[in-house]
Amino acid sequence: MEQKEEIRLIIAKIIRERSETGQLVQFEELLTELAAQGLLNSDVAHQRSHFEGVLRQVVSENEDIKELSGRNRIPHYYSSRSLSETYAGIIVRKQENSLIAEIVRENSAIYPRPVPLNIFREPPFDLTQEEILDCLERMGKQGEYQDIAQTTTSIGTVFLYSNQHLDPAYASTLAEWSDVGQVNNP
Amino acid sequence: MVKHGGWAGKVLRIDLSTGRISTEDTIEKYKDYLGGTGIGYRVIWDEVPTGTKPFDPANKIVFGVGPLAGTGAPCNGRIAVTTLWPTCWPKPLVASGHMGGHFAAELKYAGFDAVIIEGRADSPVWLQVVDGKAEIKDARHLWGQGIRRTTVDINQQMGPEASVAAIGQAGENLVPMSVVINSYSHSAGGIGGVMGSKNLKAIGVRGTGSVRIAGDKGEWEKVVKLHLSLLGSVNQHVVPNSPQPWAEYYSDTRWVGSKGRKWGSANPNIDTGACDPHNLNRIAYRTNNAAFFLGEKAWQYTVRGNGCSSCPIRCHTMLKVPSVSSKYGIPAVGQNTCVGLLFGRDFFKTFPDGPRGQTAIEACMVGMHLADDLGIWENYGQMQRDFQQLYYSGTIKNKVGEDEFKSYSWDQYEKGDPTFLFELLPRIANKQDELATSLGLGTGYLLERWDIPERDWQQDQKIAYWKLGHPKHHSSEEAGQCGVIINTQYNRDVQCHSHVNFIRNGLPLKVQKQLAAEIWGSSDAVDAVAAYSPMNIYKAKMAKWSLLRKELHDSLSLCNWMGPWIASPLKERNYRGEDSIESLLYSLATGDKKSREELDEVAERIFLLHRALTIRDMGTKEMRTQHDTIPDWVFTDPAGKAPYTKGTNRMDREDIKLAMDMYYEQMGWDKKSGSPTVAAYHRLGLGDVADELTKRRLVP
Repeated sequence: MEQKEEIRLIIAKIIRERSETGQLVQFEELLTELAAQGLLNSDVAHQRSHFEGVLRQVVSENEDIKELSGRNRIPHYYSSRSLSETYAGIIVRKQENSLIAEIVRENSAIYPRPVPLNIFREPPFDLTQEEILDCLERMGKQGEYQDIAQTTTSIGTVFLYSNQHLDPAYASTLAEWSDVGQVNNP
Repeated sequence: MVKHGGWAGKVLRIDLSTGRISTEDTIEKYKDYLGGTGIGYRVIWDEVPTGTKPFDPANKIVFGVGPLAGTGAPCNGRIAVTTLWPTCWPKPLVASGHMGGHFAAELKYAGFDAVIIEGRADSPVWLQVVDGKAEIKDARHLWGQGIRRTTVDINQQMGPEASVAAIGQAGENLVPMSVVINSYSHSAGGIGGVMGSKNLKAIGVRGTGSVRIAGDKGEWEKVVKLHLSLLGSVNQHVVPNSPQPWAEYYSDTRWVGSKGRKWGSANPNIDTGACDPHNLNRIAYRTNNAAFFLGEKAWQYTVRGNGCSSCPIRCHTMLKVPSVSSKYGIPAVGQNTCVGLLFGRDFFKTFPDGPRGQTAIEACMVGMHLADDLGIWENYGQMQRDFQQLYYSGTIKNKVGEDEFKSYSWDQYEKGDPTFLFELLPRIANKQDELATSLGLGTGYLLERWDIPERDWQQDQKIAYWKLGHPKHHSSEEAGQCGVIINTQYNRDVQCHSHVNFIRNGLPLKVQKQLAAEIWGSSDAVDAVAAYSPMNIYKAKMAKWSLLRKELHDSLSLCNWMGPWIASPLKERNYRGEDSIESLLYSLATGDKKSREELDEVAERIFLLHRALTIRDMGTKEMRTQHDTIPDWVFTDPAGKAPYTKGTNRMDREDIKLAMDMYYEQMGWDKKSGSPTVAAYHRLGLGDVADELTKRRLVP
């Protein structure tokens, strides 16, 4: 009983420590970590399902420990003490083709605002210019991303928006306001 | 008598004509007006006769702080400077300028809540204030010097801890578009010439005292901690502008600090980091106004954030741009915030390497170097917009003589060469020719001098001119009808940030609407930018609240550029701030317990006194048609879009009439004239003001 509790505490600790460094943890990584700490015996296959249950218990017992999955449905774990749901969501979706589109849609819907293309070059996205352009090109060819559109401000900055939430003229006004208007209205 | 905390207790009065120095009891005379603009308006009402001109000896300047200046309350570094305003056209009216820096705190530590300057000295003088004592000193050796040298000279006499507020050559030469500056870069616009007219070169203040906190010290510490916890970045933007590990939201705000964004000219470089709002020791890393206004390139030149006493925001960004030393012969280091940073750049339409390139940054450095030494004011960028409009429309060529026109390097100007500023700015400060003299008058008097109808300026959205010689300052472009109402109320650009600091705070619209419902009664008080709905009563409530909080901040000595604090970066508070933070701080500091509503009522009294002064000196009660006017551009859209459609800031004339009706009703004023009623004056304890205006037939 005590050992089980200790393992749950260790798992929570691993998740929290990873979160403090801006990372999420997958189940496989947890197993590896537990093995490294000598907490798994050789019968890993048998223990997988056991640890899946332990992990579920960790999530239910600790308010800050959250599970989040991307499109591939692989669960990731993080602590909300260090990571917001938004930030964790970006990390989880980082390798997915849909990341840019989903970010653009969210921003168009909730603030509402178009987002400058160069935001994707910064942390936590950290995409290269080539990766961003490739992604845009791919999206241009796929039906599910046809709502993602571009607008360019008077000083040449490209913004993306979703026409599900913003019409082109409104998106253009908001982009100009964000890029030029706000600076001209200090 | 009750011993209050907060206030120093004395107001210093300096008669430069006679050399008489006297003091008055703050509590006895001015407690009902708190301090700052409150004392300023009361002094002008009581002592400066109608018809006085700004540069007459009869005009007075009131440097006023409030009970929170010099305490540990965050963002208390502002001093209000109130006087008859020289750029208010066609008739000077009362207005105030606001300096940050350390002058406000030093004045309190020296034992004073305000300094009233009156009369005119026979020859140039400066005023030394040290620990309860004042002395008028000879400034003939300083006359003709720039602000920097004057400051250094006085600091050498008084010691490096003294705060020196000085004017430059522009002020000495009675250029209306001139400033007083303390601590080298903290300016109050419009004041320089008024000080110059009194032969007052500078005020140096040094205090070794302290401000007594009347309330329980533990409670005070708690409230200060609460206030600190609610702070966002500059302008109370509570959402970072890029995703951060701790943040649910990110938007296009001035909270620019982030891991990897470094103060590149600090040695060693300093990474601004994630800036978790729970770490109160990292507040200063959230803001970099140079990076926000000048672009990403500014990070590499950033030394650090600088700012005012007791303010962790640090909105004055210090830059080190080595290239300007060799290219222009000016110091590589300069610092300022928002409009001050942009002073030089905004004269130019284009730069060879674009609006956010190296040359634009160099233009900023040259502009700061010259303007902050000569003491030139930019009137919230109106001087620069006027200049561009006048040049590119061919007006300057037509209005100045051929020789004068040729004396400027216009080809360099058109190319965006910052050396052009060395030709233009000293001439403005020295009133050297027709163009420079006219620019130095301020927009209203310039237009009059050059026979340009004011209406021409009021048609063009890009010029951003509003009325009385001054521009808009956060109007319909970001707060719809609320912004319009606010922009009608003052005698210069309104400098009100209560509304815009909420609108631009970066929170999603849904969250903003939830907070708006709690504060103004309905989520309908706010709209998304450029998606305005028709007027409603909640927008009028928001406008009233915004104006009163501005006046409250200007009187308490809280910075209205940073507050109010009704939103916060804290998810655990559902992003709520604290609408009562001002009354909590005031009550504990002074021992005069006042609820939020009671303190707002004091703010309303102060604001009403400003209104009364405006009515008295305009000589009309027809404020709605004569004063609270709205430029035509507000009702236009460059693409011809209709009001209320998405993507336009265009307002509807009938809707704005309704907005003003609702606003006057909220204020308890007469709707037809826009003037406060006798009952409104009496309700707020201004019976004497009502009597005087009744005598003059200036009440509805």
